[in-house]
Amino acid sequence: MLKGSQISTISYLIKQLPKATVFVNMRSEIVYVSDKWLEEFNFSDQILSGKKIFTLLSRTSKEGRQALKACLQGEKQKSIIERSLFLASEKQYEWTYSTWYDDDENIIGAIIQSEDITHLKQTELQLEKRELLLDEISENGNIGCWEYDAVQDKINWCERTRAIHEAAPDFEPNIENGINFYKIGYSRNTISMAVDRAMRDGTPWKEKLQITTAKGNDKWVIAAGRPLFNNNKFIGLIGTFQNINEHVVSEIKTKESQQLLRTLIDNLPLNVFMKDIQSRKVLVNKHELKFCGVEHEKDIIGKDDFDFMDENSALRSQEEDRYVMTTLKPILDQEKVVTRKDGKSITFLTSKIPLMNDVDEVIGIIGFSLDISNIKQKEEELKNLINVTSLQNKKLINFAHIVSHNLRSHTANFSMLLDFLVEENDESEKETIIGMLTHASDNLLETLENLNEVVAISSNVNLEKEPVNINNKLTAIEQNLSVFLKNYDAKIINSISDDVSIQAIPAYIESIFMNFITNAVKYSSPERKPIIKLSSTSKNGYTIVSIEDNGLGIDLKKYGSKLFGMYKTFHTNKDAKGMGLYIAKNQIEAMGGKVMVCSEVGKGTIFNIYFNEKN
Amino acid sequence: MKKINLICIIDDDPITVFGIKKMLKSVSDCDSIDTYSNGKLALDGIKNKLETTQQVPEVIFLDINMPIIDGWQFLDEFITLPASNRARINIITSSIDPADRAKWEYYKLKTTHNITFNYKPLQKQDLFEITKIA
Repeated sequence: MLKGSQISTISYLIKQLPKATVFVNMRSEIVYVSDKWLEEFNFSDQILSGKKIFTLLSRTSKEGRQALKACLQGEKQKSIIERSLFLASEKQYEWTYSTWYDDDENIIGAIIQSEDITHLKQTELQLEKRELLLDEISENGNIGCWEYDAVQDKINWCERTRAIHEAAPDFEPNIENGINFYKIGYSRNTISMAVDRAMRDGTPWKEKLQITTAKGNDKWVIAAGRPLFNNNKFIGLIGTFQNINEHVVSEIKTKESQQLLRTLIDNLPLNVFMKDIQSRKVLVNKHELKFCGVEHEKDIIGKDDFDFMDENSALRSQEEDRYVMTTLKPILDQEKVVTRKDGKSITFLTSKIPLMNDVDEVIGIIGFSLDISNIKQKEEELKNLINVTSLQNKKLINFAHIVSHNLRSHTANFSMLLDFLVEENDESEKETIIGMLTHASDNLLETLENLNEVVAISSNVNLEKEPVNINNKLTAIEQNLSVFLKNYDAKIINSISDDVSIQAIPAYIESIFMNFITNAVKYSSPERKPIIKLSSTSKNGYTIVSIEDNGLGIDLKKYGSKLFGMYKTFHTNKDAKGMGLYIAKNQIEAMGGKVMVCSEVGKGTIFNIYFNEKN
Repeated sequence: MKKINLICIIDDDPITVFGIKKMLKSVSDCDSIDTYSNGKLALDGIKNKLETTQQVPEVIFLDINMPIIDGWQFLDEFITLPASNRARINIITSSIDPADRAKWEYYKLKTTHNITFNYKPLQKQDLFEITKIA
């Protein structure tokens, strides 16, 4: 047992221990306690001697109580971490139980020391967290690390760095074979220089480079490193190694497909455009730029059709855009004529398709327009050509029928008359028949002459047109017809200016005017003296000569379609043969012109002859 | 053979008219043959007779290509006439234009009169066949 003074000395000593310490006897009753302990567990200024320790700290864990028990039986020192000795405190303590012996090595109790390890624990936790985080980053970012020990000239790779290199587990990396992983050329040169510079002047590096792995695969990596110095002495390098291959490859692929798309769009023989929901252009290709008369895409982005088309075209185009965006139905291959701001019209075959985003909302349209102006023009020309050809064909067939009809009717007469002649006995009747045969023969000759005349006009398509002064020709015709005009007491009033000339074939002009003027006189009204008025105007590339008479007039409703037909006559006039107008019309058309007529029965007729001013 | 009262020839070619007339003499027993040199004169004459007799000619020889009113225009008006008898109209033409044959088909369906289509030259036998009361 300890003596009284001894006890107080011991007690005083223990009281001052810097560590929270408590001495308990075999019954777990407090014998000595340090001030630090009292302070730590909030018992300052209390007398705790004789009180049971676990009564004071009732939340002591089961392990703690057992540790004390074991300790009092002489077992080895044991440390227990107590997490929740107090309510509402997160403090953690490490309790160390040691056996308390007297001078004679008898167990007289236990020495319990408590240390606040809250801070320690937290640091530990943080470290653990950081390590986890690092692992996570390394895992997800595909980042490894490495370290070079200059003293031992050895490189240490972490697992990931090794994995990125696809190196065997027993591969021992060093500076030389490390650098040799980099691709010959840019990558290897860059890394060599970076390492060299880092060793010499301490510059860190971070480069995007390519390596070839141990298995022969090419990979993109970001290699970073910095030198380590100890007392200004270079002792090694440390760095990271990130596999960015997937990223780079997909970036390259994206760039490639972007370029492919752009090249494709630009070189399509189409106008391609993308518009936003307000019909403003957001993407155009080269053809569309050209159509808009703009050199750079930036000058077109954000503008709409009103900036490049006339109002009507732009309105119609925006109408289509709205239709596509509201109904989500595409417009496909629609033919339309678009007029640009400068007035030029282009025929397009246009398609417009709604453009959706990834949640299926409409965000604009994509459009394609094919310029078919040339095709349209060709089509138009072809149509005209077909029209002309079919007209010519019709004329030809008509002419063939006329020829056939005329020749057949004469030969029919011949054969009939000859039959009669053979069977006829009466001499006087024979005379009559022979007279008729002669007449028929004359008719046939005349018919052939007429046909020749027509054929001549149709086959002389190569006759050159030349400038012909109209009044010069008219004066000559008037002189030729002077007797004829006098007989009918006809008067010609000519208001055509002396300087009017037309492009024409001179021989045709004579024939044409002769025909119309003699017709006008021949079919004059018996009730009045014939007056023929001549005048001219110019319109749409034609010089129009009008020949107006005050004659019988003609019922165009009845005869209009036959007026210019061959062998068509409409008056009981003996001279009428139905050739004049037919030939005149053929001559006018052979010179690229046309003839129009208006007439009123009993009042007169106006023929308007259109002479084409072009060759 | 039934006696024909009135035959009518409408043609602007005097030779054809002469020929038909001459042949008719030997194949038909007919009292009167009227000839007209165009459709207008024919219509005037036929209408005139229709007023007194209520009859149109029993046989008509009709040319197509004629001045003023041609064969088709003649038919247009003729088939509207209020005749009490049925006429036989023989179109005589030297035209081989298919359009003319098509027109004949058209008029054939439009009227109760009997219309035939014949090419020149006519033989005596042909004429005999078509010179009958419809």
